[in-house]
Amino acid sequence: MTNPEAEIRIPRFDAYERVMHWMAALSFFYATLTGLALWSPKLYWMATMLGGGYHIRGSHPWVGIVFAVVMGVMARRWAKGMRLDADDRVWLTRMHKYATHDHAALPPSGRFNAGQKMLFWTQLAATLALFLSGFVLWFPEWMPRSLRLLSIAAHPLAAIGSITSILVHVYMGTAAVPHSMRAMLRGYVLPEWARFHHPKWYKTWRASNDV
Amino acid sequence: MIVAKLIDTTLCIGCKACEVACQEWNDQEYTMGTFDGSYQTKPELEYNFWNLIKFNEVEKDGATSWLMSKYQCMHCADAGCLAACPAPGAIVPLANGTIDFVHENCIGCGYCITGCPFDVPRLSPTSKKAYKCTLCSDRTAVGLEPACIKTCPTNCLTFGERDELLRMAETRAGELKADGFADAGVYNPQGVGGTNVLYVLKHASEPEQYGLPKDPVIPWTVSLWKGPMKWMGTFMFWGTVLGAFFHFVIYGPQDPEKHGHPADKAEAPPKEPNDKS
Ligand code: HEM
Ligand code: SF4
Ligand code: SF4
Repeated sequence: MTNPEAEIRIPRFDAYERVMHWMAALSFFYATLTGLALWSPKLYWMATMLGGGYHIRGSHPWVGIVFAVVMGVMARRWAKGMRLDADDRVWLTRMHKYATHDHAALPPSGRFNAGQKMLFWTQLAATLALFLSGFVLWFPEWMPRSLRLLSIAAHPLAAIGSITSILVHVYMGTAAVPHSMRAMLRGYVLPEWARFHHPKWYKTWRASNDV
Repeated sequence: MIVAKLIDTTLCIGCKACEVACQEWNDQEYTMGTFDGSYQTKPELEYNFWNLIKFNEVEKDGATSWLMSKYQCMHCADAGCLAACPAPGAIVPLANGTIDFVHENCIGCGYCITGCPFDVPRLSPTSKKAYKCTLCSDRTAVGLEPACIKTCPTNCLTFGERDELLRMAETRAGELKADGFADAGVYNPQGVGGTNVLYVLKHASEPEQYGLPKDPVIPWTVSLWKGPMKWMGTFMFWGTVLGAFFHFVIYGPQDPEKHGHPADKAEAPPKEPNDKS
């Protein structure tokens, strides 16, 4: 029997990465709720829930700035590791195999699989669009009309894209991939998990750790 | 009954009495502007200045002339400010056609500024709320005419039932045509479903010369945002949520025990630390 005290733990995300990730998640969550309230009178109850429309009109942009800064930090930490390699490109063409649990048909993944990498890049692009257009919408009195007209459509469009991809991400992180939450909350994973989900990453770990 | 305001630009003498009446009735402080070599009080509307007489200097047939116009909220039938506003009750279309702003409910997002094809609402730098002409809704509610109408000394401004005013405007345009102003006509732009502020113009085919947009419509990015994009967002949200849910119901979670390993079979992990079996 495996003694839990003695189980082998592979460090996956250090404290810096975990704090960074959950700051992104929390600020994103708040910006999403307040943003939806600013989107439509039908969703205005979200504003009422969070302190009223006048209040959230003030806070949404500031929380957006926090989110954008955290995403900048995330990019600095992860951008290099998120580049797609040859295996990843094949992986992407076989995404349906991943979705239907036909894992034997997939090329091996490194620390992040190609789907995770795509999420990262999608979020980064959406954040840039949200930041630029959001800044324009923040100060309507000072911005040229043409920019405001562009931003008023670009901001929600980027938000729809990023909210949708985060929904998929949350599903993956909670229900679809058991034990991945432990990686982001506690920072480590078990060898069997690593070997199954991220074989190339697991191999590097194995090679440099005498277990 | 839909009410309206008719502005016969040919009768405006630029006395600005309506500007003063508006400031007085709405109890607005006058903030000094800059002198820019024009008779016009200010270059543009301001959050505490809702009624601007424009002194449009136009070169026509070798002579410079003033094409006067009165600029304020047009009280559109299809109001872009209202379409853009996210806060329930901040912009209220009254039964008489007035588009009223209720400041208690305004959250200061400024979307109405972008939604308005006439660039009318303005945010106050202190209260951060949006302001514009209310067609004196606090006067019309008790049967009074708006302050600007009341004060106009030349009958350039008339207030009343919209259909009636429209007929009057057409008659007046006909008179002008008979007087040799072939281009005379009524400004009642259909792109916003008509406005409850109507103008008689001598040069109706060139409203830009009066500082009025030629074919105002609610900007297409605003319509896109408030129309198709909402459907798309709703569809994508529920599509993804239901998609994920049913994916789980059909396929369940990923399971290393059952689902076979990726092509590159990495070495099996040891069961316990320092177990190199
Ligand atoms: C509350 C919602 C969220 C939950 C439950 C969640 C969960 C997780 C989990 C469990 C992981 C680890 C996956 C692994 O070990 O491979 C992860 C990674 C990650 N998260 Fe989140 N996350 C959330 C929100 C966000 C947001 C808002 C962003 C960015 C905008 C984000 C960006 C990332 C990225 C880029 C990674 C690394 C790659 C990946 O796993 O896809 N997450 N998240
Ligand atoms: S002119 Fe502008 S502010 Fe006035 S009703 Fe029309 S869209 Fe609204
Ligand atoms: S500034 Fe006020 S009136 Fe204008 S769109 Fe926002 S909430 Fe509505």
